[in-house]
Amino acid sequence: MQALDCAIIGAGPAGMTAAIELSKGGAKVAVLDRGTRAGGQIYRAAAASPLPNTSALGPDYQAGAELIAAFERTDLTHFASSDAWHLGDDGRVLFSHLGETHELHCREMLLCPGAMERPMPIPGWTLPGVMTAGAAQVMLKSDATVAEGAVFAGSGPLLYLIVAQYLRLGVPVTALVDTTPRQNYLNAAPLLPRALRQAGQLKKGIALLREIRSAGIPQYRFAENLEVLGQNKAKGLRFTSGGQIREIAAETIFLHHGVQPNLNMTRAMDLAHRWNPQQLCWQVETDAFGQTSIQHISAAGDGAGIIGADGARIAGRLAALNILHRLGRLSEADRNRQATPGIAKLAAMAPFRAFIDRLYHPANALRLPQNPDTLVCRCEEQTLADLREGFNQGARDPNALKSLTRCGMGPCQGRQCGHMVTGLLSQWRAEPTEAVGYYRLRSPQRLLTLDELSRFQAVPAPTHAEAAE
Amino acid sequence: MKGDVLVIGGGIQGCATAYHLARQGASVILLEKDYAGRHASGVNAGGVRLLGRDMAEVPLSKASMEMWQTLDEELGHETGFRRQSVINIAADLTDMTTLRAREERMQAAGFTHERILSRAELLDRLPHVNPDCAGGAISEQDGYAIPYKSTSAFRLAAERHRAKVVEGEELLSLRRVGPAWLAQGHKNRYEAETVVNCAGAWADHIALMIGDNVPLSHAAPMLMITARMPHFAAPVVGAVSRQLSFKQFKNGTVLIGGGAKGFADRANNRTRLDYAKLASAARTTVEFFPIMRRASINRMWAGLEAYMPDNLPVIGPAANADRAFHAFGFSAHGFQMGPIVGQVMADLVLGGQSRFNLTPFRINRYDRKIL
Repeated sequence: MQALDCAIIGAGPAGMTAAIELSKGGAKVAVLDRGTRAGGQIYRAAAASPLPNTSALGPDYQAGAELIAAFERTDLTHFASSDAWHLGDDGRVLFSHLGETHELHCREMLLCPGAMERPMPIPGWTLPGVMTAGAAQVMLKSDATVAEGAVFAGSGPLLYLIVAQYLRLGVPVTALVDTTPRQNYLNAAPLLPRALRQAGQLKKGIALLREIRSAGIPQYRFAENLEVLGQNKAKGLRFTSGGQIREIAAETIFLHHGVQPNLNMTRAMDLAHRWNPQQLCWQVETDAFGQTSIQHISAAGDGAGIIGADGARIAGRLAALNILHRLGRLSEADRNRQATPGIAKLAAMAPFRAFIDRLYHPANALRLPQNPDTLVCRCEEQTLADLREGFNQGARDPNALKSLTRCGMGPCQGRQCGHMVTGLLSQWRAEPTEAVGYYRLRSPQRLLTLDELSRFQAVPAPTHAEAAE
Repeated sequence: MKGDVLVIGGGIQGCATAYHLARQGASVILLEKDYAGRHASGVNAGGVRLLGRDMAEVPLSKASMEMWQTLDEELGHETGFRRQSVINIAADLTDMTTLRAREERMQAAGFTHERILSRAELLDRLPHVNPDCAGGAISEQDGYAIPYKSTSAFRLAAERHRAKVVEGEELLSLRRVGPAWLAQGHKNRYEAETVVNCAGAWADHIALMIGDNVPLSHAAPMLMITARMPHFAAPVVGAVSRQLSFKQFKNGTVLIGGGAKGFADRANNRTRLDYAKLASAARTTVEFFPIMRRASINRMWAGLEAYMPDNLPVIGPAANADRAFHAFGFSAHGFQMGPIVGQVMADLVLGGQSRFNLTPFRINRYDRKIL
């Protein structure tokens, strides 16, 4: 039995930073993470890259290696290759490690589940050969593999980053099809002056775009009506741009139009969520320190609302300071004093984030499926037409629709289709997203073999004295 | 809003009652505090089982089973019903003795739908069962249906006959004033000559408004379902004396029940799971079906279900009020009875009587014991 001050779920930038701060403050901490090494998605394999030289991935990625090193030097328990499958509001954590379920109890819990890419349900998005830009990054970071001659389509910083990384590595790119709507530039323009206060970030972005342009690969702007060509696998991309219908042949198509919080953990814990209209996603409600609607459960990083890796580090530290205070290891005054610079920094980053959010605000036509035959639920193969039929039969709630059509019942537990279903029901009901709600989720948060569950023996919760040890 | 009959509760009993009433021309208003099929009727294990029923329930359950065979055509919507048979496994010779004793009683009562399986017959029907099992009992016409779809099918059929289903409407008060029942909901007021209480885990509240006390309790039976796996079991599987229960659906997923209960938080419309008990259900499943060791659990959940002390439902007229009827407390085996209960309630409401003996199900059967 492990009696802990704090369990942190996820070893990305927020989780690692929080763990270091908590440990520094004298708290007994455990960090659970799915990866074999810490780093999360953004710093995946940053500490042990298979690439001979990581400079092509950029300085932000290289900075991750330093954070990982600091994390690995810290006195804490790191459960690597560990997948939490149940998180209880009683501080109980059940997790799988090498096919066995382990249990721990903590007084405070910090959730750092990170982000996932927003699905882009254009016709053909589920064909073999269509992947996300994030998948391109995973391939590159974990295995140093690339797809030559790919088409990149969508919008947003992560898309441009991976294109630039490919070009730096000399990987041929067939085209960049940019879907950022013309209107977004107009909408974002008024936010530019305030965003300029973070000139460094803006410069970085402009340099990235310039780098891609100067590489001379075909670029198409204001693309609409995207459709992946091919019957059994991707053969190309069709779209309209500049008033023309275009077709580009490619066997690999990487799609991306932004990220959203990975909701399954916070939703399965039944924490209060709110709809973020700027980022068009649900996010767990927290206070400035990441404390959720259940007081001993906090959330930080992109999993609590998209703020990027730098923001996640700050948010992780703020959550840690508050947890130290809650554990009686830091006075309220000290917490506030130490938190002031971080809170100010986050506030300073907000205008740039707002600008980026508005500039790369996903188009509804790309965020929600338009074609009746397009799959919404990949796991259970439910199309837009199937869902509409379920709605017509009276299933107006996401859970009723799930019960009727099986949409969201598969192994991903609605991770992919959840936001789409909320969006579609909101359209069909002509009601705001908040009125529609989201799936009721439950443990297990990952597939669990019956064999593993059958060997699980519950360990009684520690007494208070044990927990305080 | 005015109607002939006010049905409280949008589970399968309420929706089936609304359907049978509306089909015969009554104007029906059904109130559901969440959405139809939100609780036990939408999230149960979907067993459509006549096998092993309490003797008092057998006549109703048999009539219901006949209705299930053609229910999709009758309602004009899919219930997902599949006739796959249900087998109760006898783990050992003691279980076989239990089965034989039951067979005698059943035959004495004139029921022949259950048949004992030898060990060889069991292995033939369930090739992956642990070969140490002694035998079992089978009911051929049994099977499973998809709970939410079935409830929804009744609701849609009721609406086709102009029943009004009001979702998201919680009943706040119910009073008998002169010849009418006056109901106040969050959204609206309702008036009807007759009221039918099909409120499941919340039915004791409604019974109280009607004037009947009832020793109803509630619990949260837990279920888990696997990711798709190759087909290995056509019949629905139960056991005579063990907490074993599963069925493999057409799509390959396997639903595991067994009756283990989680924590029911009725006031908050929620349930919590008890993982130690689910682990025990997993052990039993793997012990009886070693092939299930490799299965991956995809989801676990629980529903809020109403229980009577004798595990028999309440079906019949109110004890202390006119023009009020009850159908609730099915104690985790009411789904199969939905079709016939709807008809029984319609018969009671419209004709004042039923062809079935409802004495075992009267609401005041505990009054004497309480006094």
